[in-house]
Amino acid sequence: MGSQMEIYNFEVTTRDIEGLTDARGDSVKSMLESDYGVQVNNVRVILGYQVKSDMSLEQATRSIYDLFADPIIEVGNLENSLLDNKNLFSEAPQIAIKVGFKPGVTDNAGQAGLDGLRTIFPEISSASQVATAMTYLFWGVPSDISPNWLSSKLHNQMIERSSISDSKDCQKSVWPSLDFPERPKLTQKPSATVNLEVSDEELIQISEKGLLALNLEEMKAIQENYRDPKVRAARVELGLPEKAPTDAELECLAQTWSEHCCHKIFASKIHHVDFETGEDAYIDSLFKTHIMKPTLDIQSEVNWLLSIFHDNSGVIAWNDDWSLCIKAETHNSPSALDPFGGAMTGIVGVNRDILGTGLGARPIANTDVFCFGPPDYSGHIPEGLFHPSRVFRGVHAGVRAGGNESGIPTVNGSIVFDERYLGKPLVYCGTVGIMPRLLPDGRESHEKTPQPGNIIYMVGGRVGSDGIHGATFSSLELTEDSPSSAVQIGDPITQKKMIDMVLEARDLGLIQVITDNGAGGLSSSVGELAELTGGADLDLAAVPLKQPGLSKWEILVSESQERMTIGVNPEDCEKFEKLAQLHEVEATAVGTFTDSGAFVVRFGDETVAHLPISFLHDGCPQLQLESEWRTPEHDPILFPDVNHIEMGEILSRLMARPNVASKEWWVRSYDHEVIAQSVIKPFCGVNHDAPGDAAVIAPIQGGTQGAVISNGIVPRYSDIDAYAMAAASIDEALRNAVCVGVDLELIAGLDNFCWPDPVESAKTPDGRYKLAQLVRANRALDEVCRAYNLPCISGKDSMKNDATLDGEKISVPPTLLFSLIGNHSDVRKAVSSDFKQVGDMIYLVGETHQELGASELAFMLRDESNGESGIGGRVPQIDTSRNLSLYHSLTKAMSNELVSSAHDCSDAGLAAAVAECCFGCDSGADLDISDIFHADINLNDWGALFGESLGRILVSVKPENSEIFEASMEGHECNYLGKVNSGDNITISDQGIPILIASMSELRDSWKNTLNGGIN
Amino acid sequence: MIPRVAVLSGFGINCETETMAVFEMAGAKADRVHVNRLVNGELDLEDYHIMAVPGGFSFGDHLGSGRLMGNRLRFGLREQVRKFVKSGKPVIGICNGFQVLVKMGLLPGDDDVSLTQTASLALNDSGHYENRWATLEFDSESHCIWTKGMTRIRVPVRHGEGKFVTADKNLLDDWGEGGQLVVKYVDPSTEYPSSTDEVLPYPISPNQSWRNIAGVCDPSGLVFGLMPHPEANHSTWLGATWTRENIEHGEGEGMKIFRNAVNYVSENFDN
Repeated sequence: MGSQMEIYNFEVTTRDIEGLTDARGDSVKSMLESDYGVQVNNVRVILGYQVKSDMSLEQATRSIYDLFADPIIEVGNLENSLLDNKNLFSEAPQIAIKVGFKPGVTDNAGQAGLDGLRTIFPEISSASQVATAMTYLFWGVPSDISPNWLSSKLHNQMIERSSISDSKDCQKSVWPSLDFPERPKLTQKPSATVNLEVSDEELIQISEKGLLALNLEEMKAIQENYRDPKVRAARVELGLPEKAPTDAELECLAQTWSEHCCHKIFASKIHHVDFETGEDAYIDSLFKTHIMKPTLDIQSEVNWLLSIFHDNSGVIAWNDDWSLCIKAETHNSPSALDPFGGAMTGIVGVNRDILGTGLGARPIANTDVFCFGPPDYSGHIPEGLFHPSRVFRGVHAGVRAGGNESGIPTVNGSIVFDERYLGKPLVYCGTVGIMPRLLPDGRESHEKTPQPGNIIYMVGGRVGSDGIHGATFSSLELTEDSPSSAVQIGDPITQKKMIDMVLEARDLGLIQVITDNGAGGLSSSVGELAELTGGADLDLAAVPLKQPGLSKWEILVSESQERMTIGVNPEDCEKFEKLAQLHEVEATAVGTFTDSGAFVVRFGDETVAHLPISFLHDGCPQLQLESEWRTPEHDPILFPDVNHIEMGEILSRLMARPNVASKEWWVRSYDHEVIAQSVIKPFCGVNHDAPGDAAVIAPIQGGTQGAVISNGIVPRYSDIDAYAMAAASIDEALRNAVCVGVDLELIAGLDNFCWPDPVESAKTPDGRYKLAQLVRANRALDEVCRAYNLPCISGKDSMKNDATLDGEKISVPPTLLFSLIGNHSDVRKAVSSDFKQVGDMIYLVGETHQELGASELAFMLRDESNGESGIGGRVPQIDTSRNLSLYHSLTKAMSNELVSSAHDCSDAGLAAAVAECCFGCDSGADLDISDIFHADINLNDWGALFGESLGRILVSVKPENSEIFEASMEGHECNYLGKVNSGDNITISDQGIPILIASMSELRDSWKNTLNGGIN
Repeated sequence: MIPRVAVLSGFGINCETETMAVFEMAGAKADRVHVNRLVNGELDLEDYHIMAVPGGFSFGDHLGSGRLMGNRLRFGLREQVRKFVKSGKPVIGICNGFQVLVKMGLLPGDDDVSLTQTASLALNDSGHYENRWATLEFDSESHCIWTKGMTRIRVPVRHGEGKFVTADKNLLDDWGEGGQLVVKYVDPSTEYPSSTDEVLPYPISPNQSWRNIAGVCDPSGLVFGLMPHPEANHSTWLGATWTRENIEHGEGEGMKIFRNAVNYVSENFDN
C-alpha cells in the first residue's frame, strides 16, 4: 500500500432523546457513590475512535454512521469535538477525563473497529489501526474531589493513560486529548550467551535479575548440565556456545521448571515433624503420595476414569457416548495488578485447557470462585494495591466479559472475603467440557495421537511482548517492581472463532495432538508435546508477531493469549489451513514434531536452543523442605448475653456479613443459561432470588441425564487447622451436590491449593508451620477422598500468595478450593433449596456438635468486640462414613421423589439455612430444635443455631410423604423441626421456649443489601 | 417435506447449538452455517426455508451490539438476504440475532426490504448485562407467523443492550397499528391479556424498553426478532421455578415459536 496513513478522530455519544439515558455515564455515577460514597450530579460519556488508515476522507465520513455511531440513538462526529456542540452540551462540564490504552495493550474494541472498516472498505490497508478511548464528563463534583482522584478511579495506570481537563480548561473549551498510541519500535537483540561459570551469589543474581525464579540448586543443576562433556560435544556440532546456555535455553528451562509449571513444592521431599503427636516422618512428594495415589487406587476399581493428571484437564466417562472433563486454574498475580485483564485471561485461559484436552473438548460451563479483601475495608492500603471493592469490580467485569462473550455459562461460584486477601486476591476460574467418546474417524477423543513428522501449528492470536514472564512472575511474591508485561487483556472473540474452528477440525479428524499456550508460551506447549514424540523442531522466525523486533527468547516464552499449539499430519495441512481461513483464524506452521530426543529451537537457519527432552522435563532437582506442626492457640469465643429477639438481630447481622450475603447483583450479570442446559440455576424460589446449592446442567438438548457441578471453600478453618479446612471444603462440595440429588456412584473432584509461601527463608520465618498446614491439608484430601470414593482427576497449586508492599507482608490464609463434578441420573428429579409450600415439614439431617471454632459467628463476634472475643474452639470435624451413608439414603429418597427441598447447612449454620430456604418461599417457619441437642452434650444454643458441623442438610418434605421419608432415613440422624408457615416470622424454639425470633423479610433485606452493587 | 433451517454461526455467535436443537425438535433439519460459507458461495441461502440468527456476542458487541455482524450481512450478503425474505421465507433473530436484524434494517423493516435502520437497541437502563427470567405477552391480533396462537411464555433474558427505541415516535404508532410490536414484557401477576404501553417497573421490564417491547416483526410477519431466549426454554426442566410447580415434564414454553415457523413452511412450500 503506497497511500499515506492519516489519523482520523471519531467521537460518539448518546443522542438526546426523551426516554433515552446515557447508561454508561449513569453507571459511573452509581459506581462512585457505591464504592467511594462520592455523589456527583451528572456523568456523560463520549466514545472515541482514533483511526490510522489510508482510507479517504469520504470513506471516513461515510463510516461515521455506517460503523462507529448508531444512526438512531447516537451522535457521531469526525474531527471536531462533540464537546464544542452546544446543542449536545449546553453547559461545559466541570471536569473532563479521557482514558485510553497505553501503546501495545490489547484493544479489543479497536480490533473490532478495524474489522468493521474492512467489511465496508475491503480495499483499505490491513496495516490500518484503530485505537479506542472514553471521555468522561462530570457536572456537580463535590469541591473536595480533585480531577486527579477521579482519574485514578477511572483508569489503571499499568495499562491505561489519561488526559484531564479541569474546570479552568473546560471553561476555555480545552478538552482532554491523547495521541495515537504508537507502539515504540523494537529492534531484535541478537541471541546472548549466559555464562554460568560464576560464584553462587552471581548465579542467584542472574536468576533474580532475569525474573527466572530459579533457586541456587536449580541454577547449579543447569550449570552442571553445561559441564557435561557429551553435552558440550553436541553443542559444538550444532554451532551453539559450547560451555554455556543461550538466553533462550535458560528462559525455556526457567519456564519449564517454574513452580507454576512443575509444582516443585508438591513434588518436594518433606521432613515433617508433629509436636502434638511426636510424629517424625519423610514425605516423598505430597502430590504422588496424597493426590495421585488415592486416585490411582480408585481408578483400579472403576471404569469411568478415562484420563487423569497428565492432560490439560481430567476426563471421565459420563455415558457411553460422551465424556466430561473439568479443570480449574488460578490467576491471582495478574488480577492483583489489573483485575479486569487478569481475571479475563484467567477464564479464557482455563477454557483453552478444556479445548486442549484429548483431541479437543467443548467448554460448556464455567465456575468462578473469588477471594477478596472485605469490600468495606477501611484500613490502610499499601501503595501499589487497589481497594478490595475495586479489585472485586474489576475481576467481576473480567470474568463477565470472558465468560459471556465466549458463550460459556457461569453456572456456579462463590465469593469469600478476608482481610488477608488484600495483598493477593484469589481468582479461581474453572471450566467443564464435553467430548464425544469417539470421533467420526473412530479415534477415542481423550487420547492424543502424535507422531514424529506431525506439523506444529500455532493457531489463534499472535505473539507480542505482552505476557512475558507470567509463569515465573506468578512463582514470585508481588512487589512494587512486578512487571506490567506480565499483565494482559484477553480477546474472547478471537478465542471464540478459534474454538469454533478447532472443534470443526477435530470432527474432521485433522488434529493429532493439541494443547494450549498458557504459562511459558511456546516453550511450554511445544516443549510438553515434544515429550510425547521424543522431540520437536521449532522455527521462531515463522511465528507471526504482533510487532516486529521481539527477541528470540521473548517469542519463545511470551504468553500472549488465545493461542493453541496443534500437531497435524502433513497430508492434512492444506485442509486445516483452509478451515482456519474460513473461520478467519490465523494458523501458521511453525515446526515439526520429531523423535530426535531434543527440543530444538531455531530462528531461520540459526539454532538458538537445543535442550535434551530428558533434562528439560526431569532435570529439575527435588526440593528438600522442613515442616513443623504445632497446634495454634486461640482465645475462646465470648458469647454475649442475649434474649430471643436479640438472637434474631444477631442472625440478621450474620446474614449481612459479606461471606453470607446475597451475591445476586453480581451473579446476574453472568450468563448462566447459554447452551440451554441449566436445570438448577444459581437462584431459585418464587422470586428467583434464593441461593442454589450445586448447579445441575443437562448438556445434551432434550436429554434428561445431567451433570452436577459444585464447589467447597472454607479458608477460615485454616486458622485452627488446615486439615479441618480441607476436609470441610471437600464435604461442602459433596454436600452441595447431594442437595440437588447427585449420583454418588459417579463423582470426581478437583483440588486447587492457594497457599502462602511455605518454604522457610528470611522472608518467610514461619515457612515450616505453613508447610505443615499444607501437609495436613493433603492428608485430609487423601483420607476424605478415599472415604467418599471421590477421585481427584485434576488440580493445580499456586504457592506464592504473598505480597510485600510498603515493607508490609500480607499472606493469604491457606486456601483449598475443592470443585466437584458428578452425574445426575434424571434431572427431572433434581431438588432445589427453596421451601416449596406452607405446611411442608422441615427436617435437619446429620449431627450437630458444638463446633463454632473459626465459624462465621466467631469472626463476627470478634469483629464486634474489637478482638476481645476469640475465634477458638472446636472446628468442624469430619466423620466420612457417617456422612456418606446418610448422603446415600438422602439421594435415594430424592430419586423416589420424597424430598421437596434440600439446602446445605454451612456458613452461619442452621439458622442461616432456615432463613435462606424461607426466602425462596416468601414464608416463615416455626421450628423447635430440642431434638438436635442429644448428639453432643456440650451443644449450646449458639452452637445449635450457628455452628457449622459438617454432613448436615436442611430438608423439607410434603406432609403426605413424611412417614415414608422418615422410614427411608432410618438409622441416620434425622430430626423433625417444624413446618413452613405462611407468616413472616421465623421462630426457633428449644423445648417450646423461643430462642430466636426474626422477620423473614427483614432478614432478606439485610442479606440482599450488603453487596447490592450500588446500581439498580 | 422436512423444512431446512440455516442457523448462522461464527464471529462470536454462541447460541447456535440450542437454536439448531429447537428446530430439530420441531421437526426441521437444521444446519450450522458459518456466515463466510454463504459469502464465499460454498453454500446458498436459497437452499434453505428458514434463516435463524442466534444469540451470542458477535464481534464482542464492540461498536454496539449486532452492528458489525449486521454490516457483514448488509454488505456481504445483501442481495441473498433480500431475495430470501422477498420469497416469503421466515427469518428469526434472537437476542444478538435480533440486534443484528435491527441494526441491518431488516427489522422492523419495510415492504421493500430496503435494509434501512429505523430502530435500535440501547443499553439497558441498568447499564449492564443481566440474566434473569421475564414473562412475555404476545399480540394475538398480529399476523406474525412465528407467534400464532401464543399468549404468554416465561423465558430468560440475557443481554446488556435490549432497550428498544427509535428516533421517531410516530413510527412506534405505525408499527403498533401494523401488528409489528408482537411481544412485550408483562407483569406475571396480572391476568392475560394485560400488556401495556406504559413502561413497567424494573425488573418486570428488565431493560426499560419503550412500550415494554421485547420483540417485533416486519410488515410481512415473516421476519421476527426478540431479545429474550425462547430457545432456552425448550424443555420443562429448564424453567426458572419448575421445581415449585406440579408439571408433566415435556416440551418447554418457548417451543411453540419454532413449531409455528416449521409448520408454516410445511404448509406453504413443497420442498
